[in-house]
Amino acid sequence: MSLLELNNISKIYGDLKALDNVSLKVDTGEWVAIMGPSGSGKSTLMNIIGCMDKPTSGEVILDGKDIAKESAKNLTAIRRDKIGLIFQQFHLVNYLTAVENVMVSQYYHSIPDEKEALEALARVGLAERARHLPSQLSGGEQQRVCIARALINYPEIVLADEPTGNLDEANENIVLDIFKQLHREGTTLIVVTHDPEVGEVAQRTITLEHGKILRDAKNPGFE
Amino acid sequence: MFLRMIRGAFSRQIKKMLMIALTIALGASLATAMLNVMLDVGDKVNQELKTYGANIIVVPKSTSVLNNLYEVEDGSATAGSYLKESELGKIKTIFWAFNIVDYAPFIEAQVTLPDGSGAVMTGSWFNHHMELPTGETLDTGIQNLRTWWDITAGDWINEQRDASENEIMVGEALAKRLGITAGDTLALSSGHADKTLSVVGVFSAGGDEDEEIFAPLGIAQEFAGAEGFCSSIEVSALTTPDNELAEKAARLGPGSLSVSQYETWYCTAYVSSICFQIQEVITDSVASPVRQVAESEGSILEKTELLMVLITILSLIGSALGITNLVTASVMERSNEIGLLKAIGATDGRISALILSEIMITGIVGAVIGYFAGIGFAQIIGRTVFQSSIEMKLLVIPVVAVLVLAVTLAGSIPAIRMLLRLRPAEVLHGR
Repeated sequence: MSLLELNNISKIYGDLKALDNVSLKVDTGEWVAIMGPSGSGKSTLMNIIGCMDKPTSGEVILDGKDIAKESAKNLTAIRRDKIGLIFQQFHLVNYLTAVENVMVSQYYHSIPDEKEALEALARVGLAERARHLPSQLSGGEQQRVCIARALINYPEIVLADEPTGNLDEANENIVLDIFKQLHREGTTLIVVTHDPEVGEVAQRTITLEHGKILRDAKNPGFE
Repeated sequence: MFLRMIRGAFSRQIKKMLMIALTIALGASLATAMLNVMLDVGDKVNQELKTYGANIIVVPKSTSVLNNLYEVEDGSATAGSYLKESELGKIKTIFWAFNIVDYAPFIEAQVTLPDGSGAVMTGSWFNHHMELPTGETLDTGIQNLRTWWDITAGDWINEQRDASENEIMVGEALAKRLGITAGDTLALSSGHADKTLSVVGVFSAGGDEDEEIFAPLGIAQEFAGAEGFCSSIEVSALTTPDNELAEKAARLGPGSLSVSQYETWYCTAYVSSICFQIQEVITDSVASPVRQVAESEGSILEKTELLMVLITILSLIGSALGITNLVTASVMERSNEIGLLKAIGATDGRISALILSEIMITGIVGAVIGYFAGIGFAQIIGRTVFQSSIEMKLLVIPVVAVLVLAVTLAGSIPAIRMLLRLRPAEVLHGR
C-alpha cells in the first residue's frame, strides 16, 4: 500500500485552477521530485501534501486515511506527527540558537531533548555550530539546521520546498548528499524544485504544468 | 523550552516590549493615582469644604418648633429658649466625635449703643480651649468657623488672655457708623448689664454680621441675662454623602429603620446620624443639617469621584488601544515565526499561550512601574489640589492588578484573533 495517495485533487482560487485533477502515489522510502515552472502548482501541491492547505476536491490518503476533509486542528496534529518540512527560506526562529531551533520541533511534538537535538545537528555536520544564532550561520548551514529540525521527530514523509533554491553549488551538494543518505536510510522524500539537477538525483520525477501532471517517470540515472 | 522562547522573544524585541510595558504603566499609574485619590478624596473634599463654615446647626427644641411653624429666620424666635453651656463638651463624646472638626455656641443679646440706637451682640467662642471628658483638649470657635471674615483693623479676640473678658469685635458697617476702630472703647447697655468694652478688632463678613458686635460668650450671656446658656450651636463635621438609607432616616426618622439598617446608619458618618447623636447628648435640642452646605458637599464629592472614575476609564481605554496597536504590530512582524510554529505542529492554543505569556509578563512589569508612578502622581495631586498627602490604600493593589489584567487581555484580543486566522501556507509560501 502507498504511503501517500492523491486521487483527483483539484485546488481552485477564484478563477485560477492551481491544481487540476491531479492523481499520484508515493510509496514508503521513495524519493520523488516534483518539478515544473513557476505557477505550475508545485507549491500548492506541497501545501496540500504538507497538510497546510486542503484541496477543493479529491482525496488525500496518508497512511491509509483520507485527510482532505480533516479540521485545521487535526491537520496540525498530522503535520506534527507525520511530516517533516524543509523550506527554501529556511524559516528558522531568529532569536533561538541552532539547537534550540531543532528543539522547538520536539517541544511541539513531545518533550525537548537537547542531546537528541545535538545528535540531529551532528548528523547534518553542524555539531560545532549548535550554539550559534541563525544570523551567525551561512545559508547552507541554516538549511542544514532546517533539515535537522525536519528529521528530529522521525516523520513518515520529509517534504522539501526548493531546498537548494537559496544555496550555492557547494552547499547544494551538501544538502543533496544528506538527502541521499536519508533515502538510503529509508526516509520517504518529496522534493519540490525547479532545478533540473536536483530533480535528476531523485528516484522519480513528476513534472507539473498548468496544474496538471505532464510527466511522471523514474530517473534512469538514479543511483 | 517555553521559557527559552519567552526569553528569546524579549531579547529580540525589547523595544517593542518596553513600549507595551510603558503603555500599560501609563494606564496603571493613572488608575492607581485616581483610585487612591478617589478613596481619600472624601475626607479631603470635606476638609476643604469645612472652610466654608458649619454644616450642622443645633437649636433648642422649642425654637425649632417655632421655626418650623412660622418659618422664621434664626435668632428672631429664640428668646427664652436656650441650650445648656455645660453640655457643650458632650458633643465631643458622641460616636462620631472624631469627625467633629469645630463647633461654637452662640447667644444673641440686644444692646443699646452710646448714640441710643440698638444693635445685636452675638456671644460665641473665638479660640476656646476645652478639656474634654475623654482627656483630650480642643481649641475651637468662630475663628475656625468664620474663615472668610476679613479682619480690617486689629485682630481676633484671644480667649487665652484674661483681658479678653472685656473685649469685643465690631462689624465693619457698625464701626464705620459709630466712627470707632480697634483700640477704642464702646459703652454698651441692656436690661441686664451695663459695661464699657474694648474694641480689639473690626471685621468684614460681607453680610448682616457687619452690623453686629461679637463678644466672648460670657459677656453676651451677661447682656442677655442668660448666664450658662446659649441659643444655638454651629457644628462643622466631616460627613459621608447621603445615600438612600440616610435619606430614608432623614425623611422618616431613625425609628423607621430596621435594626440592621439602624446600626449601619448610626455607625456611618451621615450628617443625619451625627445630628441624631448630637441630639442624644444635648438636652432638649434639635440638630439639623445646614442643607445647602451638606448637599453641596455630597454633590461636589460625587462629581469629583465621577470625574476620577471617568479619567480612570478613559486612561485604561487609551492603554487598551495602545496595547492593541503594539501587540498587533508585534504579531504582524512575527507572522513568519508564528506561521512556522504552526507549520511544525504548534496548536493555536499553545501559540496564543506563548504570545499572551509574553504580553502578561510585560503587563506585570508595566503594572509594577505604573503602580509606583501612580503613587507619585497621587501625592502630586494631593499636594497640588488638597495641600496634603494622599493615604495609600492597599485595596488599590488588587483593583489595579485586575484592571491591568483585563485591559491587557482586552487589548490583546485583536492580535490573538489575527494570530488564530494566520495560516502557515499563507505566510510561508505567500498563498
